[in-house]
Amino acid sequence: METHILDIAGLHVSVADKEIIKGIDLTIKKGEVHLLFGPNGSGKSTLLSAIMQLPGYTVTAGNIRIDGTDTKSLTTDAVANLGVGISFQHPPKIPGITLKRFLQAINRSTDLAQEVIELDLEAFIERDINVGFSGGELKRAEILKLYAQNPDLILIDEPESGVDIENIAVISKAINKILRINTLNKKSALIITHTGHILNAIEGDVGHIFIDGKIVYTGDPATIMESIKKRGYKESVVFLQAEKEREWDEKHWIQGLWKRLKTLPLVRQATNQPPF
Amino acid sequence: MEVIDAYSASEAIEILPIKAALEKYGWLEELSFSLIPSDKDKYVKEVADSPELLGYFIRIKAGEKVLLPIQTCYLINSNNFTQHTHNIIIAEENSEIHLISGCTSSAHALSGRHLGITEYFIKENAVVTSTMIHSWGKEVEVYPRSAAHVGKNGKFVSSYIALSSVKRLQMDPLAIIEEGGLGEFYSVIYAHEGSYFDVGSTALLNGNNASSQIVSRVVSNGGDVVTRGKIIGQKPGGRGSMACNGLLLSEKGFIHAIPELLGNDPALELSHEASVGMISKEELAYLMASGIDEERARSLIIEGFLDLHIPSLPDYLQRQINAIIKQTKLSDTL
Repeated sequence: METHILDIAGLHVSVADKEIIKGIDLTIKKGEVHLLFGPNGSGKSTLLSAIMQLPGYTVTAGNIRIDGTDTKSLTTDAVANLGVGISFQHPPKIPGITLKRFLQAINRSTDLAQEVIELDLEAFIERDINVGFSGGELKRAEILKLYAQNPDLILIDEPESGVDIENIAVISKAINKILRINTLNKKSALIITHTGHILNAIEGDVGHIFIDGKIVYTGDPATIMESIKKRGYKESVVFLQAEKEREWDEKHWIQGLWKRLKTLPLVRQATNQPPF
Repeated sequence: MEVIDAYSASEAIEILPIKAALEKYGWLEELSFSLIPSDKDKYVKEVADSPELLGYFIRIKAGEKVLLPIQTCYLINSNNFTQHTHNIIIAEENSEIHLISGCTSSAHALSGRHLGITEYFIKENAVVTSTMIHSWGKEVEVYPRSAAHVGKNGKFVSSYIALSSVKRLQMDPLAIIEEGGLGEFYSVIYAHEGSYFDVGSTALLNGNNASSQIVSRVVSNGGDVVTRGKIIGQKPGGRGSMACNGLLLSEKGFIHAIPELLGNDPALELSHEASVGMISKEELAYLMASGIDEERARSLIIEGFLDLHIPSLPDYLQRQINAIIKQTKLSDTL
């Protein structure tokens, strides 16, 4: 059985002949929640769009595997049907299709009455998709869509953008609920967050800092967020990288000592290879 | 050819074959061809000169409101047959009536012509809604001619739905709207390859504060469609708005939207919007990203595009129309 829900190797993605993703390796194990931090325009949303095989996003090198399946020749709906759901940052308005009809088209068998109430969307269920919805309503409708779809891997693009604090609490709670619907078989997620508010409610396993089309640092999400708040993105990468090396040195002082000893001419002569 | 049946279950409404009505009421002669002159064009002339006078007369009496629809139907059931009809509808003061008509040709009659004239007389404060659902054969030519006179504070709502093939259909119904009156035209057209539609609506705001709304939704899947709308404002306080939206599904066929506004009084508010384009790739990708396959996603968008909300129609009639649109297997032709 595959242990990875998502495997991205050497990925390059272009949009209108402009390279946006410039070489990414990313692995998400089943049940893991990853968070992507990064400045605007760094390519985070492009990564999610490329995973969904949305039209206009061309993989120029590398590959994406969902639960072991290479998505290269798949259409967007086929990727979704591998068990991937996405909550868009800016979902389109679709006049003429009610939210209810849309949910039925996704899944006729699941009764979402409870989720509709929890997401405070009773008044919107008969309305056309996203037409006249506020920022919070858009995000809540996107989460409701994920309930209907019930995917194994959830991609969420900026759940907090354009949303007030009260809505963030409702949305975070709902995301948490989806992730834990099945306690034995936890869902995986890749969440783009700007403010990090989502971390108050959702426990992330791994965080990544994403700058200029590349993942430049990977570590504990809460530590990353704390550092970004203090130093911004670029400074955080330098700081966190140095911190990581320092921690490594502390944990592995013998190796550290050996590293330094190796630089001495006598030791260099005495040994051709390091013992570790 | 004959009128097979004419019967009204309600005393509020009188329904007669047009021939019998003209014999019964001498004054009807004066109304007949008063909104549509008998020499308007060759088709009207052909009907006026037809020795066989077919059609119905419906009168709703003053103050009566009948919410259940009056259903009328024309059928062509032999090839190369020309159907001539002349209908007159009179809604007396403060009355309300809802008409739904289905015109069709039977499965074995693929060719023929339908020339139909309908004149509506809507008196003060009266409400008439008329919903026409056409389903003709591939070789049938259709030239309906209709006009309505909407009296003071009266209301006329005309909805036209054509979702199946037709060889050629041309019409441009007219509403003459008096003071405080309202005329609304809605049309929903799905044009298959080989079909030609030229469908318009004209609203003449003839009295102070008269208003009109024209909405057309057209899908071309290879068919040719000219969609016209014209609002003529000539009295103060007149308001009119128009929305002509077209969706192209195929490289064959065309949609030509011609919205026209004509105003000659400074105290008028007339506006229009028109669009012709293909299915939005963004909308399609959005639906597909939730696991809906492309064909189903396209059908959902098309159904949604054609799903008109007509606030003036009673709910049950609106539901009936939407059910017809959904039942029509648009997806088969995608």
